[in-house]
Amino acid sequence: MQSRKLIVLAAIWAVLLLAPYWMVPLGGYTALATRVLVLGLAAMSLNFLLGFTGVLSFGHAAYFGLGAYGAGLTLKYLALSTPLAIVAGMLLGGLCGAILGTLIVRRRGVYFAMVTIAFGQVFYYIAFQWSSLTGGDDGLRGFARQPLDFGLLKLDILTDANSFYYFVLFCFALVVGAMGFILRSPFGRTMIAIRENERRSRFLGIPVERHIWIAFTLSCFFMGAAGALYALVNNFADPRGLHYSQSGDFVMMAVMGGMRSFWGPLLGAAVFVVLQDYLSSVTVNWMSFVGLLFVLVVLFFPRGLLGFFQRSRA
Amino acid sequence: MNVLEINNLTKRFGNLVAVREVSLNVAKGELCAIIGPNGAGKTTFFNLISGFFPPTSGTIIFDGNDITRLATHERVARGMARTFQITEIFPELTVFENVRIATEVADGFRLRAWIGKTQTAKVHQQVEATLKLVSLETKAGRLVGELAHGDQRAAEIAMALALKPHLLLLDEPTAGMGDQETYQITQLIRKLHRDSNYSIVLIEHDMRVVFHLADRVCVLDQGRMLAQGTPQQIAANEAVQAAYLGQAA
Amino acid sequence: MTLLLLFNITNGLIVGAFYVLMALGLSLILNLSNVINFAHGGFLVIGGYIAYALTPYVGFWGALLLAPPLTAIIGLAVERVLIRPLYGRDPLYSLLLTFGLAFMIEDGTRFIFGPQGKPVAIPPFLAQPLSNDLFFITGYRLFMVAVVFIAVALLFILLRYSRLGVRIRAGTLDLETVAALGINVRMLRSLNFAVGIFLAGLSGVLAAGQLGLEPTMGTGLLMPSFIAIIVGGIGSLAGTLMGGLLIGVASGVTAVFFPAASEAVIYVLMAVILLTRPRGLFGEEGMMS
Repeated sequence: MQSRKLIVLAAIWAVLLLAPYWMVPLGGYTALATRVLVLGLAAMSLNFLLGFTGVLSFGHAAYFGLGAYGAGLTLKYLALSTPLAIVAGMLLGGLCGAILGTLIVRRRGVYFAMVTIAFGQVFYYIAFQWSSLTGGDDGLRGFARQPLDFGLLKLDILTDANSFYYFVLFCFALVVGAMGFILRSPFGRTMIAIRENERRSRFLGIPVERHIWIAFTLSCFFMGAAGALYALVNNFADPRGLHYSQSGDFVMMAVMGGMRSFWGPLLGAAVFVVLQDYLSSVTVNWMSFVGLLFVLVVLFFPRGLLGFFQRSRA
Repeated sequence: MNVLEINNLTKRFGNLVAVREVSLNVAKGELCAIIGPNGAGKTTFFNLISGFFPPTSGTIIFDGNDITRLATHERVARGMARTFQITEIFPELTVFENVRIATEVADGFRLRAWIGKTQTAKVHQQVEATLKLVSLETKAGRLVGELAHGDQRAAEIAMALALKPHLLLLDEPTAGMGDQETYQITQLIRKLHRDSNYSIVLIEHDMRVVFHLADRVCVLDQGRMLAQGTPQQIAANEAVQAAYLGQAA
Repeated sequence: MTLLLLFNITNGLIVGAFYVLMALGLSLILNLSNVINFAHGGFLVIGGYIAYALTPYVGFWGALLLAPPLTAIIGLAVERVLIRPLYGRDPLYSLLLTFGLAFMIEDGTRFIFGPQGKPVAIPPFLAQPLSNDLFFITGYRLFMVAVVFIAVALLFILLRYSRLGVRIRAGTLDLETVAALGINVRMLRSLNFAVGIFLAGLSGVLAAGQLGLEPTMGTGLLMPSFIAIIVGGIGSLAGTLMGGLLIGVASGVTAVFFPAASEAVIYVLMAVILLTRPRGLFGEEGMMS
């Protein structure tokens, strides 16, 4: 059982490490892989909260967007350092999540979802209106990811698509590693407990609201990191990345891939991105089809792709 | 030494008085059964003790401390563990995993992102010991949701025991069980009471169970404490008979 | 200054009245069925476009009378086919479904009618301002408020006195007991949904006359409706009513002093409520927790 898990893990990493090489014959290109990786990270960060704690946050794109703007603004005004930009983005997303989390965790269910949506929109609105800082509707431009120079190791992530991909994969590995580590810890088990039966968790002595707040904050940090990386993909931060429709996309990726599975959201992101790209290239009404996709997945495939392969539970 | 002292506890929901000035003392190591007709307020009483909601008036003293205003998880931390009429467990986790979560919380690890090898081993040992106490050690790897009703209840009790409680609150532990399972659970509770000396308060409808287990019986009727005494005394009490028979009309 | 303030407060009340109409429909559906209807804005758009399509044949008044019930019928169909399967499940799924539905409606209307705004003719006598002094109150805006007032009054009468209304209210408090009493809960949910969509359709007709008609108009009105519900208190229709008016007025008043912040202020209001009285103005403790 343990060895089977290790084999699966090794296979996943092999696929990720070799992506620039097996994608090209299939008609893909490295930048697409980078995009999928970053969006997959965002979906996994959301799923940390949604799938593993059972908390429905539908405004999580806000922290993604905050990460993007944090990184962009850092590169534009503070320092020409890519690692710093990523950390800045992560901190911005995480800290805002920590603060807002205190307001939100008192409620649960649909009320919680509504409030997360509304709060997410606040940030969207700020990004839109504060155009002197954020560039408003046009988004934040005028910054670019900087080549990395660690003395012995130099990576031209600015112009070399493959270098950038591997850099992103490295960051991805760090964040995903942290996520997995936490989920396997006693704290992670309390998260799962809360998802499985909140009342029982409470009656085991778990201060549920506090634990949800911690999980929420952690997922916002991860989200911020993903957002920061996304800003670096196109050297651009988009206010639409903060809109609740972006949140909806992330939730859909998690659901499509399988919410109860750790790697599911990454798979969901891959499918969603490829599908959306394809649809928008063949029809101008791609939006209806994406909407239809949402409807069909909810009605017929709610457990997602990897849900089919989960051990069948009672 | 009283592990639990309840003084004039009252709970109103708007105009409805669910629990009316109930007082009760539970000594250490005692097993007290709460009985009464349906709607007497027994579960509301339990909810008040375990902190599900605050009382309208009255006090609850636990181990000498006033816990009347404390939240549920704080009461649990002080040593109060509860099971529910409809079993509250983590159905899609294994028996082992269920009890492990309880054990880790009891050991103070709930916020830890990492526990070392020795501590992990200690947790494992504790889980195994708890499972042995409720005779579930052979089913440790099974999903709790797939177990028979009696075993699920035993698992729930195991989770409560893992919290190292000073007081066990068992809400209708034999609810929905056939004779065989009722016997199984009753034996378990008896063992916990006689051998391990747990202080237990339980709500029961099944009089055989009550007579088999209880040191003391308290009868609730329409929110009030109607009578307290040994099982024999209660059985002979005319007011109690009237309360039950009156309901049958 | 006072005239400007008056202008903006009145304006705020008018806008607020509109939010109320939208938010009430959303609230009805939320309270009974635990569904956040993301497609509510889409039904507003459908109502508007139906009115637009009908106006050449039955005129403005005919469209006003016919479009809302027609929209409600579409709503019934949607509820029956798409939403009913989701009732037992995690609220996540109905949220995702209505979300996808909103996309489909927006793009669908764009496909059928084109992305440009469409004019909806309103009767000329309504387009006149009331007087030169009160130039900001056009007949149409008063008319809108009047329609909202009548609709809300009818809704409250329906809820208070009709059998359906009593069942909806009971169902909001305890659906299990209502089912145990032998009432057809599925039909109840469908009819409740239809009433909510009726209100959305009506909003659409009114909005069309005021704002012009285009496929994206629904989404802009969805957020204020959410906030009206949060501020007023989930579970309370009176709260939603107050919430809608409050945010309308707050928005209007802010426009006098900080025009750029008039949209932001409703979010600030929401944050204040969540900090000081999380259950909302009229919300009940323990609802939706």
